[in-house]
Amino acid sequence: MKPAKIFAEHESLILGTGFIVLLLVIWESIPFWYTLPKGMALFFTTPSRIAAAFYELLLDGTIEKHFYISAVAFLAGLGLSIIVGLPLGLVMGRSATLEHLLDPYVTAANATPRIVFLPLLILWFGIGIWSKILIVFAGAVFPLLINTYVGVKNVNRVLVNVVRSFGANEWQVMKIVALPNSVPYIIAGLRLAIGRAILGVVVGEFFGSSHGLGYMIASAATNYKVDVVFVGVAIFMALSVILTLAVKQLESRLASWRPEAAKSF
Amino acid sequence: MAAQAFFTEHRRLWLALCSVLFLVASWELVLTYVFPVDPFFFTKPSLIATAFREQLQGSKLWHDLAVSSQAFIWGFAFAVIVGIPVGLVMGWRRRVEYSLDPFLTALYASPLVALAPLFIIVFGVGVLGKAALVFLLAVFPFIFNTFAGVKSTDALLINVIRSFGGNEKDLYLKVILPSTIPYIVAGARLAIGRGLVGIIVGEFYAASEGIGFAISQAGDTYRLPDMFVGIIILSLIAIILTELMRRLELTVAPWRASDEVR
Repeated sequence: MKPAKIFAEHESLILGTGFIVLLLVIWESIPFWYTLPKGMALFFTTPSRIAAAFYELLLDGTIEKHFYISAVAFLAGLGLSIIVGLPLGLVMGRSATLEHLLDPYVTAANATPRIVFLPLLILWFGIGIWSKILIVFAGAVFPLLINTYVGVKNVNRVLVNVVRSFGANEWQVMKIVALPNSVPYIIAGLRLAIGRAILGVVVGEFFGSSHGLGYMIASAATNYKVDVVFVGVAIFMALSVILTLAVKQLESRLASWRPEAAKSF
Repeated sequence: MAAQAFFTEHRRLWLALCSVLFLVASWELVLTYVFPVDPFFFTKPSLIATAFREQLQGSKLWHDLAVSSQAFIWGFAFAVIVGIPVGLVMGWRRRVEYSLDPFLTALYASPLVALAPLFIIVFGVGVLGKAALVFLLAVFPFIFNTFAGVKSTDALLINVIRSFGGNEKDLYLKVILPSTIPYIVAGARLAIGRGLVGIIVGEFYAASEGIGFAISQAGDTYRLPDMFVGIIILSLIAIILTELMRRLELTVAPWRASDEVR
């Protein structure tokens, strides 16, 4: 096959990876054609040095240790937000009274950046794992709750009436119609929730913490170990991209009939 | 009868109001009579209200707000200036889209706030560090929403302009930009939330003034009422800005009302 034809067929892939490779090469080659002043050199690192630092930290177990702590906070917080967010969203979607009662809190808390509660959570729950779990929970619960709620709200009234006519009670309506109908919404909410949860882990570990990847980043920055900062950032980036893609895959499998909405993380 | 009709008509408002009043009242009563409040770890609405009044009369709160909003406005303005053109070009030029999309999507998906410590150390604890952080977080919603807006431009309109001999500039200014504006406003709403995160994290991490600093300092010194005042003010600002954007969205594109989940 001719190169031009190969290029035409895989244009998006070639250009996409090409651009990233180009950026990395330019970044790597900066020290060769430009001598940074002493002050700037302190803050500067190259991809090769980041990779070397990554390898070193991987070998001596530092990454494993911090990763474990971060993963526990992430999974526990996300799990808690699913346990709370789904039932609450379901109930809010089915009961107008409850919806009106809870609406002010949900709207207000959803508009506020939840990070602002971090000092409060640290004060109440200490600098241990619990304040991290709860900040992850605070970030992740609202996308799940609101999306479940919208999914239940958009349920087909005819289906509800059919199930009702056959003598279903409210519990059965939820189980048979409302919950399955809102699955695509819940998955979309999960995608948003994962992003918020990772944000919660990162920021939660920046402050008053002595473990976790966020702590690794913050302490490396204080000690001017810029390559270690980028190792941490790269790990978080890779995790977010992988998790987002996984959920998107799930989303498109479960909801192939739904038009794809604009990208929103 | 009239009262009942009024109640049914504004049921939503009444229930919301009752719920908030009930919560505040029970918070106050429980901490006054059932478990007397330990001011070190907990506080109650009356104490928060007193702190609120004091802060509003003092000058520190206003100074903090001014400092934070200065950084926010700079970062946000640059996000608009950079994000919209990048999104336009990405939407219109296929090869630019192919080149930039994977890179920018990866950045958008990742928690860039992880770079906060580095930014603060490189750019300093002043306006520059925070503004750079706000820019970094807020630019992506602008890029991707502008991009989505251009992509969804009606091909018929483009053909009309072409048929009447319009050039590239007419195309951008008369068709693409107007049909993209609703998307940009929606992007602005997302960007506000992300920008506020940038300000708060930047000021929690290292600052000597600003609303985020005020909150974390109140927490460090166990001044709970002051911390709640800061949190409430920040929530109010976030709610007002988000609501303004929602209104603007409805004004510029009424047909898109409530088709978005968040």
